[in-house]
Amino acid sequence: MRLRYTLYVVGILMLFLGGTMIFPLLFGLYYQDGSVAPIARSIGVTLAGGLVLFLCFRGARQEAMTHREGMGIVAIGWLAAGLFGALPYYWGGMLPSFTDAVFESLSGFTTTGASVLTRIESVPRGLLFWRSLTHWLGGMGIIVLSLAILPVLGIGGMQLYKAEVPGPVPDKLKPRIRDTAMVLWKVYALFSLLETLLLMAGGMDLFQALCHTFGTMATGGFSTRTASIGAFNSPYFDAVIIVFMFFAGINFSLHYQFIKGEPLAFWRNSEFRFFAALCIAFCGIVTFSLYQNVYESLGQSIRFGVFQVLSIITTTGYATADYELWPSVCQHILLFCMFLGASAGSTGGGMKCLRIMLLLKHSYKQVFSLIHPRAVTQVKLGNRPIPHEVLHSIWGYFMLYIGLFVLCSFLLAAMGVDVATAFAAVIATIGNIGPGLGLVGPTDNYAHIPLLGKWLLILCMLLGRLEIYTVLVLFVPEFWRK
Amino acid sequence: MRIIIIGAGQVGFHIASRLAMEKKDVVVVDKDAEALRQVFENLDVQTVQGCGSSPVILEESGIKGADILLAVTDSDETNLVAAFFTSLLSPNTIKLARIRGEEYLSYQDILMQEPYGIDVIINPEQEAVKIVETLLRVPGAVDVGEFAEGRIKLVGVRLEGDCPVIGTKLSDLRAKTGELKLLVGAIVRNEKLIIPSGDNMLQENDLVYFVSEEKDLKSALKIFGKRAEPFNRILLVGGGNLGLKLAMTLEGMSIHTKLIEKNPDRCRALAEKLNKVVVLQGDGSDQDLLREENVQNMDVVLTLTDDEETNILSSLLAKRMGAHKTITRINKFSYLPLVAVIGLEHVVSSRLAAINTILHRIRRGKVLSAMALKGEEAEVLEAVALETSDIAGKPLKKISFPRNALVVAIIRDEEVIIPTGNSVISPDDRIIILSTRQAIPQVEKALMVKLEYF
Repeated sequence: MRLRYTLYVVGILMLFLGGTMIFPLLFGLYYQDGSVAPIARSIGVTLAGGLVLFLCFRGARQEAMTHREGMGIVAIGWLAAGLFGALPYYWGGMLPSFTDAVFESLSGFTTTGASVLTRIESVPRGLLFWRSLTHWLGGMGIIVLSLAILPVLGIGGMQLYKAEVPGPVPDKLKPRIRDTAMVLWKVYALFSLLETLLLMAGGMDLFQALCHTFGTMATGGFSTRTASIGAFNSPYFDAVIIVFMFFAGINFSLHYQFIKGEPLAFWRNSEFRFFAALCIAFCGIVTFSLYQNVYESLGQSIRFGVFQVLSIITTTGYATADYELWPSVCQHILLFCMFLGASAGSTGGGMKCLRIMLLLKHSYKQVFSLIHPRAVTQVKLGNRPIPHEVLHSIWGYFMLYIGLFVLCSFLLAAMGVDVATAFAAVIATIGNIGPGLGLVGPTDNYAHIPLLGKWLLILCMLLGRLEIYTVLVLFVPEFWRK
Repeated sequence: MRIIIIGAGQVGFHIASRLAMEKKDVVVVDKDAEALRQVFENLDVQTVQGCGSSPVILEESGIKGADILLAVTDSDETNLVAAFFTSLLSPNTIKLARIRGEEYLSYQDILMQEPYGIDVIINPEQEAVKIVETLLRVPGAVDVGEFAEGRIKLVGVRLEGDCPVIGTKLSDLRAKTGELKLLVGAIVRNEKLIIPSGDNMLQENDLVYFVSEEKDLKSALKIFGKRAEPFNRILLVGGGNLGLKLAMTLEGMSIHTKLIEKNPDRCRALAEKLNKVVVLQGDGSDQDLLREENVQNMDVVLTLTDDEETNILSSLLAKRMGAHKTITRINKFSYLPLVAVIGLEHVVSSRLAAINTILHRIRRGKVLSAMALKGEEAEVLEAVALETSDIAGKPLKKISFPRNALVVAIIRDEEVIIPTGNSVISPDDRIIILSTRQAIPQVEKALMVKLEYF
């Protein structure tokens, strides 16, 4: 890998990141809440850092980008975003240590939504806005956004795109990568605009509406209240957020096709059908077991049950109820949703429905060929045959995911965290969800995790968002060799 | 601008990479998933897996509303059917098809009329023959391009140790040439292309591209130390399609030609078709045969078999045994950078020829013709200077022209001007520009015309 070139591109990304910090600054200036100074300082440092990299390594500009460099740029770029994005929190004085600030920042960018802030209401609004904005930037991808608007990254766009966009098979909506990125961001921005308007119509002010939109569309989960969406206690807000969480959990190419005038786009996609069927089944079971057990009315059971199932399966992590008080069958389903995750090509995390669906199909074919030993089988997605290499790589991904989950939760337990919390914290961060179970449940936060544990979870969030491989290669010595 | 390319082989890949670099919307269709993966990972284009002749696949790749269809698979049938369905599905799309089979080519005229309506038929072997022909007409040259109906030639020569101008600065070259009009447009040194200024010095082993008028060519070649004697004896190794075509052309030029072919049956067929050419059955890398046939007296040995490794070795052998010049057919592009290093300088590739022709044919509008230089790093364009553009009406040294591009000739009516810094372009002049690939967008801007495609 050509490190100098990689750092040059990372420099460009940092300049871009510094630019986006202008928006929280505007909110800070408007509310005059004391967040102006820390944000302004962060902008200065981020831009300066970006400029140093950009100028120092300008000579290393290349004409083509290799696969490795693509992964390196994305992984290092995200790390840089996490570190520099943490500066406003650190200088804002809300968090006791830089570790906490980085945790909060990467939790934002990776759309995890796990927080170490204990009293959110006391945090200046400028900083809260930055917190939610990191969700929005990270949701569709910082790199994909820069691909769409920065012409410099046109070279090697595909390598970058592949390294950042989730899903086993990359989708290209338009012949040129720049147009593809642009289309995805347009759809994303359109939905965000709609949700903001709807939330404002229900009575939120612009600041709150934007923060919650960012949290929903990016499947992040940061709220402006400690009690999350539950603090508003409004069926209207719950309904709007349920709908948009569901939208955010669908492959964005399908949204694009639908807008382009293919009404059957959703229905024809087998992953969507699988995802929708799972959502309906889980919502049904949860609602059924809540009715007359936790909540008296059917309406309330549906409202809280559906919200929580969608919040977890799309890996958003908003909460309107403390599901730890629910029957264990509900908790179990939610735990299951944490592993599952949303669709490929959505802003959600987790293992992705597409992978699980293909693995189920593949396993079924194995059983089938036991019964018909001479049968020639082929796993298909819709009408498209899936090559064996893709299936192999999905199995590999599945094993890595589970393996990392086991390893990280063991390490966390070894640091003195109790078993249930360790399991839940790892799956909630690696799946980019946010709230887990035990001491990291919907009403708790991550402040009590030991320092080293926080760094481990930071790594988990990054692994989950960039789908493991991109981050893992950084640890392979071969990767750094020239 | 949407361009659909059927076939992700070498030809398809290179054209796609070229067009994608110029920011066109390109869709590549191929049956082979592995070839497509290569394309998808390396180029900024969309890929569709499937047979390009299938109307379903064509529609999936967005043939409706596409501007150009390039059918360049190895199979003539696929290309023809793809073109046929394109004219059914989207009559306005321009269709270019690569066709090699003699049987099909003899019906070329019909194919280009309705209902097929293929706009351009490219026959790679024919293009390769043309290239060899121009190489043979300009002895000593590595690469030859023709502009303004052949009146202006762009010639690439490799400077050898005994060349008299080595060590000369380009600004001093004019003193040596005297009356002769000659302009060095590009130098390829260590696989790198340089658009030179007056300060650049000529070095040994440089590949120098210069522009001169047709009538001055001989004296120009002499300046670079190249003898310009016509060829009389030529040996061809390999009697495939290309070998046969070339043999027939050489027969027409009444050059004494011998042809070596391995396969006895093929030899018989060749002998039936050829009259004056001596057909020999044997192996091109057989030293005894080569000695027997006086290889040391050959002006040119052409190795044209389908196997490029054999061609390279046979050419090296012939050169070692005393042949004056060799031309080697190499289809694998990855070998091209090696060519100069191992001492072969003339290379012909039917695929490269096809790519050049396609790029040339695809460019139209105000750009009259185009040619790609070695390794495709640069392109030579012929265009008309518009009155509205900044370049007209001022001395060349005063206009802001992209750094990596050079005006190498101006054609005013019948007059050909090889420009200096003081030359002035007037509106409606035809100008020839040599530009690196990266500078092409800037050239477009300077000309105030888009390099339009059809």
